[in-house]
Amino acid sequence: MFNETSKGDVEMKKLIAATAMMATGLSVGAAKAEDSVFVGHLMDITGATGFIGKFYADGVRDALSYIKENGGIDGTPLEFESVDYAYKVPQAIANYKKWRSRNNMIAMQGWGTGDTEALISFVAKDEVPVYSASYSGHLTDPTGKNPKTAKPAPYNFFYGASYSDACRAMVQWAAEDWKKKGGEGKPVFSHIGDNHPYPNAPKEACAEYATELGFDVTSPVVVSMKPGDFKAQCLTLKEAGTDYGYLGNLGPSVVSLVKSCGTVGVDPTWLANIWAGDYETLKTIGDVDNYVFPVMTSFWTDEGVPGMELVRKISMESDKTGEQFRTHHYIRGICSVYYMKEAMEWAKENGGITGANIKQGMYARTDWVPKGLEGVCMPATWTAEDHRGINTVNIYSGEAHGGDVKVTKLETVTLPRRDDWLGY
Amino acid sequence: MAGFSMRPCGDFRTTYRQDTRIFDTTFVRNAAILGIVAVGLIPFVLDGYYVNLFIQISYFAIAALGLNILVGFTGQISLGHAAFFGFGAFASAWINNHTGIPVLLSIPLAGMATAAVGLLFGLPAARIKGLYLAIATLAAQFILEDFFARADWFTGGSYGAAANPINVFGYEIMDDFSFFYVSLFFLVIMYVLGSNLMRSRDGRAFVAVRDHYLSAEIMGINLTKYRLLSFAVSSFYAGIGGALYGHYLGYVSAEGFTILLSIQFLGMIIIGGLGSVKGALMGTVFMVLLPEVMETGVSALSVFDWANSTAVTDGLAYIKEMAIGLAIILFLIFEPDGLAHRWQQIRAYWKLYPFSY
Repeated sequence: MFNETSKGDVEMKKLIAATAMMATGLSVGAAKAEDSVFVGHLMDITGATGFIGKFYADGVRDALSYIKENGGIDGTPLEFESVDYAYKVPQAIANYKKWRSRNNMIAMQGWGTGDTEALISFVAKDEVPVYSASYSGHLTDPTGKNPKTAKPAPYNFFYGASYSDACRAMVQWAAEDWKKKGGEGKPVFSHIGDNHPYPNAPKEACAEYATELGFDVTSPVVVSMKPGDFKAQCLTLKEAGTDYGYLGNLGPSVVSLVKSCGTVGVDPTWLANIWAGDYETLKTIGDVDNYVFPVMTSFWTDEGVPGMELVRKISMESDKTGEQFRTHHYIRGICSVYYMKEAMEWAKENGGITGANIKQGMYARTDWVPKGLEGVCMPATWTAEDHRGINTVNIYSGEAHGGDVKVTKLETVTLPRRDDWLGY
Repeated sequence: MAGFSMRPCGDFRTTYRQDTRIFDTTFVRNAAILGIVAVGLIPFVLDGYYVNLFIQISYFAIAALGLNILVGFTGQISLGHAAFFGFGAFASAWINNHTGIPVLLSIPLAGMATAAVGLLFGLPAARIKGLYLAIATLAAQFILEDFFARADWFTGGSYGAAANPINVFGYEIMDDFSFFYVSLFFLVIMYVLGSNLMRSRDGRAFVAVRDHYLSAEIMGINLTKYRLLSFAVSSFYAGIGGALYGHYLGYVSAEGFTILLSIQFLGMIIIGGLGSVKGALMGTVFMVLLPEVMETGVSALSVFDWANSTAVTDGLAYIKEMAIGLAIILFLIFEPDGLAHRWQQIRAYWKLYPFSY
C-alpha cells in the first residue's frame, strides 16, 4: 500500500515545491549544482519573429541538451534554461538580470536585434559572452575602429557572415553569374525592403560593393514589412529593368512580394537575405525560379558531409523519429552552441570557465571548425579586433513548382577581409 | 473616486488650501514617505532581478503617467506614446553626445524636446477629437518610427545610438544598484509633479475639458490651449521616461518603439485606472510583473518530468502569452475602474471595518 502511494507522494511534493516556487518567485535554476556552468537561452517562438525564431531556437536548445547529456563541458556539467521572451525587450532584460543574479550565468545564447542590442552594454560590463543570431555588421567591430560603430560590442559574437557580408557575397556571385549567362551591358541591382533597421542594415554596404563590381544600382524599392499586394512595386522593378533584386524583408512580406511579381510577370533573380531564404519560405511561395539565398552551414539534404551525423543525432533530442526536416537556421543554431562549447573548453584549461576566458577562447584558434561538425560549420576565425567570424558564404539556389521545392548548392563564395568593411 | 473620503471624523476643512492638499491626511503623507523609504531599501534586501524590475517599472511608470494626464485627465487620446518615448531616448543621447551637456541635464532637456514634438503632433487636437484624433496620433507613431529609421544624424539609423551612463559629480552610474536610486529619484519627482499639477488651475482645466468641453469653454477655459498643453505635458513625461530607458541600456536601437508599446502604455493606464495618478503606477506594476509571474509559473512546472519535453515547454510558452491576454481581459471585466479604484475600496473597507455602512 505504501509503495503504491509513494509515487503519488513524490508528485505531490513536486507540486508543493512548484507552488512554493511560484509563491516566492524563485527560479528553478537557483538550485543548481555547485561546479556546473549555466548558460541562458533567450528565444522567440511566440512573438513578432517567432515564425523564424523557432527554427533557430530548436537548434540551440537541442544542441545544449545534447551537450548536457553527453559529458557537458569537458566533464563540467552544463545547466541551461530556454526562455521564450516573445521578442519583448523588457522581458529579455529581466531574464538576463535574473540569470545573472541567481544562476551565475557565464554565457548566453540570444536571438534577434531586440534582445542583442538592448543587452550590449550590460554584457560588456558583466563580461558575459553572448552568441546571437543578430548578424548586424556593427556587432563585428569590438573595438570601435569604424567611426560609424555607435557602441562597440566586445562581448557579442555570432556565427555567420554579417547581413552586409552575406549580401556582398551574393552580389559577388551575381557578377560572375551575369558573365556566365553572357548578359550584355551592366546588370541592374535593386535593394527591396522596408524603411526599417533590419532591411536597412546591409543597404548601403551592399550597394557600394555592387557599384564597385560594375552593377547599375537603382534607388531602393520600398516594400512594407507587413505582407500585402505589392504589384505596384513589382512594376517599378520591371521599369527599372532589375536583373538582381535583394530581398531585405522577412518571411511573409517576401512571400507576398515574390507572388505579386509572379502574377505580373516580373522575375529577376532574387537574392534573399538569410532569414528569407529557406525551404519553408520557398514552399509557401509555391512557384518561383531563381531564388538565391546565402547559407552559412551545409544544408539538411546535402550528401557526403561528415558533420551531418552529429547534427542528426542532435536533432533526435526533440524529434525521436529523426525524420523531421531541419532548416539551415536550425543547423546554424547548433554551430553557434558548439563554438561556445569549445571556447568554454579552452577556458577550462586556461584558468577556468569565466566570461572573460571564454572570450579569449574565441580568439585562440584560426580556421576553426568544432569537432564533429566538419563540413557543417565553416572554418571561422575571431580576433580581438575583428568579430567577423566567417567570410565564406555558401550560395544556394532554390526553385519551387506547385509546392515541390528543389534546393541546389551553386558555389562557395569567399569574400576578402577588407578593413574598410569592418563593422559595416 | 473622489467620493471616498479617508479623513477621520471631525476633520473638516476650512480653507481651499486645505482642500487641495496633495495628501488627504497626515497619515497618508507619512505612509507615502515611509513607502518611498521602504522601496529605497530594495537593493539591500532583494537581488538584481527585482532591482531591474523596479527600474523598468520606474521608466515605464513615468511615461504611463504622462499618457494618463492626456487620456485619463484631459480626455484626449494618443496612439503614439511609444514614439514619443523613443524620441526622448534618442534626444537625450543625441544632446549628450553632440553638445557634451551632462546626462542629468540632457534628460530634462530631452523631455522638453519631446514636449515640443508632442505639441506639434498634438496640433490636430485643436480641431478634432475622439476617433479622428486617435488616427491623427497614429500617424505620429508611424511618422516618428520612419524618422528613427531614416535620420542617421539623429538616431544612427540601423547602427542605433550610444547613450552614455549618468555621471554625478564625476561618479559614473554604471550598475543597477546606483541606477535604481536615479530612477527612484525621477519617479518620485515626476509623480509629485503630476499630483501637484492635478490640483492646480491647469490641472482642473484639464479635467473640465474632459468632463464637458462645451461647459468648460463657456466657463472661460481656452480649449485649444489646454488640449495642446496636455499633449506637451504628456510628451514631456514620455520623453523623460524614454531618456531614462536609453541611459539605462546604454544603447538605443531604432527598433523598439512600435505601436505595440503604445498600446501597452494604454493598457497600463486602463488597468491602473484612467484619471488617477497612482493608477498609472499601479497599472505599470501590473503590466511589468504579469509576464514575469507567468514566466515563474511556467518555469516552476519544470520540476515535473512530463513538463521537460520540448513539446510541452513550447506549448507552455504559447499558453503563457495567451494567459497574459486573458488576465488583462478578465481584469477589464471584473475591475473596469482599474486598480486605483480597487485600492480605494480596500482602504475604505479597513477604515470603516466593521461598520461599512
